[in-house]
Formats: sequence, C-alpha cells, structure tokens
Amino acid sequence: MTAKPDPLIHPITRLSICGLLAAGADWVEFAALRDAAGISDSVLSKQSRVLEDAGYVEVRKGAVGRRPRTWFRLTAAGRQAVQGHLAWLAQLEEAVSTGTRDAQQATPLPGDRDQPRRVLPPLLGSS
Amino acid sequence: MREVAGDPAALEQLRAQRSRLADRMRPPWWYPAGIAIVWVLTFAAPFSSRYLPQGVRTWPILLAVLVVACLLHWGLARATGIVVNAGSLRYPSGRPAGIAIIVVGAAAIGTEFFLIRRGLPEAAIVVAALGVVAEVACQQAQLRGIRQDLRGGGGAA
Repeated sequence: MTAKPDPLIHPITRLSICGLLAAGADWVEFAALRDAAGISDSVLSKQSRVLEDAGYVEVRKGAVGRRPRTWFRLTAAGRQAVQGHLAWLAQLEEAVSTGTRDAQQATPLPGDRDQPRRVLPPLLGSS
Repeated sequence: MREVAGDPAALEQLRAQRSRLADRMRPPWWYPAGIAIVWVLTFAAPFSSRYLPQGVRTWPILLAVLVVACLLHWGLARATGIVVNAGSLRYPSGRPAGIAIIVVGAAAIGTEFFLIRRGLPEAAIVVAALGVVAEVACQQAQLRGIRQDLRGGGGAA
C-alpha cells in the first residue's frame, strides 16, 4: 500500500464516510453512518452518491416493513484508496508532531536570530 | 466544519467518529439470550442422537441452530445498523475469543458423547450447562474485541 492523498477522499465529510466504512464493518446502515459521522441526511446522501459514482462505495437498498433502509460498504478500490489516504495523513501527523517536538526542544534564547530557521523547516516539510 | 481534511486533526476527528460507531455495536438484551439458545440446542444434539427414538434425527436440531443463528445475525444488524461477520476470525482483538468458542464447543460436545456412552447423562448435562455459560461469555468477549477493532480501525479486511 502506498501512502498518497486521494483528491476524492480529501474533503472532510468524504474522509469521514470512507474512514468509518474502512473501520472493519461489512456493511453500515445509513443512520449509523450519519450519526457516527455527525452529518445530516442530505450531506450523507450527496457525498455517498459521489463516492458511489467513483466506484469507492457500494450501496444496497432494502426495506424493513415500510421503512426504507440503505446500507453502505467500501469496494476493493475504495478500501485501497482510503488506506493510502489514511497512511498519507498519518505521515503528515507524524511529521507535524516531530516538528512540534523539535520546536519545543529548540528553546529560544534571548537574541537567537537563527531560531526560526532551525524550527520552521521540519514543520514545513523541507530539508 | 472544515471542508478539507488536509490537516492531521482530521485523523483525530476520524478516531472520535470510529469510537461513536463502535459504541453502537452493543448487542441488545435478547442477543446473549439468543446465543444461549443456540448453544443449548447445539449441546442437546448428543442427547437427541442417543435418547430420542431412531426415527428422530439430529439434523432438525442443527437446522434449528442454523435458523436461530441467522435470525440473531439479522437482528443484531438491524438493531445496531452495523453488519459484522462475528463468525469469522478476521478481527484481531476478537480472534482469541473466536478460537475459544470453537475449542469450547468441540470439547463440550466430545465430552458429552463420552459421558453419555459411559452412562453418565447427569454429568453430561452439567458439562453442557457449563459449556453454554462459557460460550455466551466467549461470544460477549468476541463482540468486545470487535468493538475495539472498529474503534481502532483494526478490523479492516
């Protein structure tokens, strides 16, 4: 698995939907996904359609009595994309926490004019 | 709400969302009771094959086990909104309990057959009762493990 950002999963609501579906459940029902993600019905409908059109999410519709039920799950392509995107985010998190640690360790001395140059490169990801 | 997940705080938010999803995976009161019925029927099979008339076979009991197990799976999915394959050993944290379910089940049935052949049906009933209690406890532990994996994202196939 390669850690790379996926522009389709990049928006936070789609990341939430895909990240929840990638947690390990086989299928997740509409209401469960909506409540866990903390989004509205319309947002979930709209974003899940985008993900379905991209082939990342599979949708199964059914009914229990008169109540319609919609179930979601990730496709193989979706799972691969989510894992790559989450790995990329984890690398980013690691880089930022390392940069923060370095910044905390680099206690500024009075009159230390080089301090910003020592602290900023790790935060910015440049060498 | 932020529009883009470009910052690592998005991962922190996802962890909180996964935790909410995992919290939904709590079985209703009837689920352990249903599991107990499944194992009572399963552990009744050695008795039925020995004590029931020749015409009555074990397969109706096993069919009932299958039907109740399917109903429980369907009911749990409907109640929680989450479908997990609790029968598989896919979830790392639930795996030890899953293996324990298989081992305890096989051991209890084997011991029951042995005791019934030796003419000790009372001892076999005690073994069956202990087996049911152990299986329900293992099933609960397996669900706890699955919840933990859902929380950490460790149950991804």
